[in-house]
Amino acid sequence: MNKNPTPGSAPQHSSLDIGHWSLGPPLLEARRLTKRFPGVTALRDVAFELRAGEIHALCGENGAGKSTLIKLLSGIHPHGSYEGELHVDGHPVRFAGVRDAEAAGNADITQEFALVEELSVAENIFLGRAPRRGLPAFALRATARLRGTDGPSRRPGEGWRVDWLEMHRRAAGLLADFGLAVSPAAPVRKIGIGQKQLVEIIRAMDKKTRVLVLDEPTAALTGPEVAVLLEHLRRLRAQGTACIYISHKLDEVFAIADRITVLRDGASIATLAAREATVPLVIKQMVGRELGDLFPRRSGFTPDTADVGDKARPSAEAVLSVRHLHVAPAPGTEPFLRDISFDLGAGEVLGFGGLMGAGRTELVMHLFGAWGHRVRGDVTLQGQAHAAPTPRDSIRRGLVLATEDRRRYGLVLEQSIGFNLSLSSLRQFRRGVKLDLPAEQVRNQHFFESLQVKAPGQHARAGGLSGGNQQKVVLGKALMTEPAVVMLDEPTRGIDVGAKLEVYELINRLTDEGKAVILVSSELPELMGMSDRIIMLRGGQIGGEFTRGEATQEQLLHAALASAA
Amino acid sequence: MHFRTAIQSLAMPLALGVIAIYFAVKEPAFLGPRNLTQLIVEFSITGTLALGMFMILLTGQIDLSVGSGVGLIGGIAAVLVFQQGWPAPAAMGGAFVAALVLWTLMGALIVRQRIPSFIITLGGLLIFKGLFWLVIQNSTIPVSRGDAENLYSRLTTYYLPARAGFALAAVIVVVLAVLAWRSRQARAAHNLPDSSSSRAAARWIATAAAIAGLVAMFNQFRGVPLSLLVLAGTAVAVYFLTQHTPFGRYLYAIGGNEEAAVLSGIAVNRVLIGAYALMGVTVALTGFMTTAYSGAATTTVGDLMELDAIAACVIGGTALKGGRGSVGGVIFGALIMTALLNGMTLLAVAPESKFIARGVVLTLAVWMDVVFGRAKN
Repeated sequence: MNKNPTPGSAPQHSSLDIGHWSLGPPLLEARRLTKRFPGVTALRDVAFELRAGEIHALCGENGAGKSTLIKLLSGIHPHGSYEGELHVDGHPVRFAGVRDAEAAGNADITQEFALVEELSVAENIFLGRAPRRGLPAFALRATARLRGTDGPSRRPGEGWRVDWLEMHRRAAGLLADFGLAVSPAAPVRKIGIGQKQLVEIIRAMDKKTRVLVLDEPTAALTGPEVAVLLEHLRRLRAQGTACIYISHKLDEVFAIADRITVLRDGASIATLAAREATVPLVIKQMVGRELGDLFPRRSGFTPDTADVGDKARPSAEAVLSVRHLHVAPAPGTEPFLRDISFDLGAGEVLGFGGLMGAGRTELVMHLFGAWGHRVRGDVTLQGQAHAAPTPRDSIRRGLVLATEDRRRYGLVLEQSIGFNLSLSSLRQFRRGVKLDLPAEQVRNQHFFESLQVKAPGQHARAGGLSGGNQQKVVLGKALMTEPAVVMLDEPTRGIDVGAKLEVYELINRLTDEGKAVILVSSELPELMGMSDRIIMLRGGQIGGEFTRGEATQEQLLHAALASAA
Repeated sequence: MHFRTAIQSLAMPLALGVIAIYFAVKEPAFLGPRNLTQLIVEFSITGTLALGMFMILLTGQIDLSVGSGVGLIGGIAAVLVFQQGWPAPAAMGGAFVAALVLWTLMGALIVRQRIPSFIITLGGLLIFKGLFWLVIQNSTIPVSRGDAENLYSRLTTYYLPARAGFALAAVIVVVLAVLAWRSRQARAAHNLPDSSSSRAAARWIATAAAIAGLVAMFNQFRGVPLSLLVLAGTAVAVYFLTQHTPFGRYLYAIGGNEEAAVLSGIAVNRVLIGAYALMGVTVALTGFMTTAYSGAATTTVGDLMELDAIAACVIGGTALKGGRGSVGGVIFGALIMTALLNGMTLLAVAPESKFIARGVVLTLAVWMDVVFGRAKN
């Protein structure tokens, strides 16, 4: 840690426009924050400054470091786990945890649906700080008379039992403020998703912290709801509350923010006054990266041969063909994925991009048979209808998915690497009712070695592996099923550069063998580097389709961002 | 991992040794052939049920209904024999089918309706108990008519003649040798490493000696009990199922991570129903043995046996949250559990103290499971 920080080193790129803000020290200031995770540097020399009465937007692609920065500011990553300094009101602080940060009047995160589903709206709003009351009035009078004092000394808001009336009265007021037509007594699980988000925001706002952090607060809100939210933010700003606002929706950012700090690859690129910035400028700074040799896509299916290939290969030969697919989360609900159509040929890598919640994971999970209810549309897999499948059907028909969340969906962590590798392919080793264990062991060893899993042996526990090696096991499990179509959902998330390269090489090997690959990724450079074609999803729909080399990052981002309204 | 396995593989023989020594000092008859044979019969009963429970626990589920089920299935067979005059094999066959149907239905209810197994089987506990009392009309139904012996009544009273016992031991030893040899052949065919042939031979000789010694010990009293053969057969079947079939792998996978199991293409529902159906099979076997052991179906047959079975599994290292455990551990756990109960009965410990001791052991076992589970994460 540098003990002599350069004075005023915070927003190095800022064109400081202090406008109506006070001239005192910033409410919150981060200097040269560097945060390393094993194998990944999440933040690099980040500078960030928040003044009282300011709405400060954080922009950046997925994985640019926004969440990590927030976690540092709110004490989730405690002092000592990072390098650099945090200042509150000009004084250096060392948060040991979330409580320290809160005690400093500091950040309060609205995480995604941190609501208790079974409790009521009012209970959620006042979770952990319910208004209290003591003895009822008649009892107070009685005790007062016994003590010989004058009258009831009743202190509102304190006592040993919950003051339900007060809680509901105040909740009703807050809900009315936000124009939210739900009863304070309604259980949270019964209200809509947008309403849940608003309840969460109400809770955060009512805690009266000095710094309010809103992380993608409008992801599930409709237009009018967004307008109400922004109106309240402006009111809070007028009262002096500072707000860190994170959103992918740049139109919102420009509608509300005073300043914008752009993060890219863990570094703070620029802090701009919102009124001087433009959407294209921010997007350019969010992207601003050269594609190097990081993505060694080599394939018979380059754009040049693609033209020839398309002529030689009639569309009927598509290994996977999706037509007008509409998928709802559950029967009877509104479709979330709407009108998705595409073809995937053998030896081709089709990339799917889009923002969080655009429906990428849902799409591959649905094709695999693990998510959603198909409202209409057709899926054809190797010439056969692939209707309402289960993962088991999909695997048997040659469609396999390597999931995004390895630890949760991918691996049986307590079991060995070998156990996990062959788990989807035990049929191959059946001799009558019995498993041919030696044959299985040989096959596992083959994958263990060819994927270069770094472990003492295939008997090592999967849970003890690093992220990159776990990913290799997940991929190995998928590949052992001998699929025709491999769907990879964020195959390089959270793994180091070396392991990423190995995954890319593996994708090349797959397409060389004539397998078709669907690559879902949040990283645009990865999508552009590894895909033959890219489809950008936006709010459950196709936002644009591009062939390799045709698209720039700006175009892709536009396809993903362009406001759906 | 190695440390943990070392502790557990040492802890169980150690605990068993302490228990045996304690009871032997207090009452030398504990280690006499008569009591040992009786202990082995009780062990067979608890062990068989625990092996069924083992497969349920592996998946992370539980079955609380098996104690009542043991009574009910034994009771059905007894009624068919004593009141309906069925031949014992037919009566047991009928009761066996009933168990299979009941447990398959219960499994289907749990997986199709997504009702927690704890609740369904708790309901089963009460319902089966009621059905049991209804079937036997709250009375005592002997397992045979008059003094006549039948297959049912002999289940826990038949002992192999000395020569048959040794012959059986010889057959088992030969079969073991053939299996070991074939396994080595298969590994060699795939160029896989194996232990040296002299070590394998030494292990085989040690096993053979142990089996022969065991048979000799039983022969000192009345011979190898038939019920032990039931347990051995069940253990071999469960071992084969869990270690050598896809079904067994899936049990471990579901218990380890059910979501990952679904996404790995495992027909989770089918596997779970299968586990419950197999539980039904072991309930039937245990039901016959328990009822035969007490001579008749009475209202208390099977009481609390589900807890003994669960305790045996957990003592033997089966994780209550699923995904971890071994047949060997369950057998050991059952032996410890039985030794405790048998020893206390021998010392004429008051029933109230027995209940408390049972509870303490169960709690201790689960506590250890939690501690070990935590140490892993």
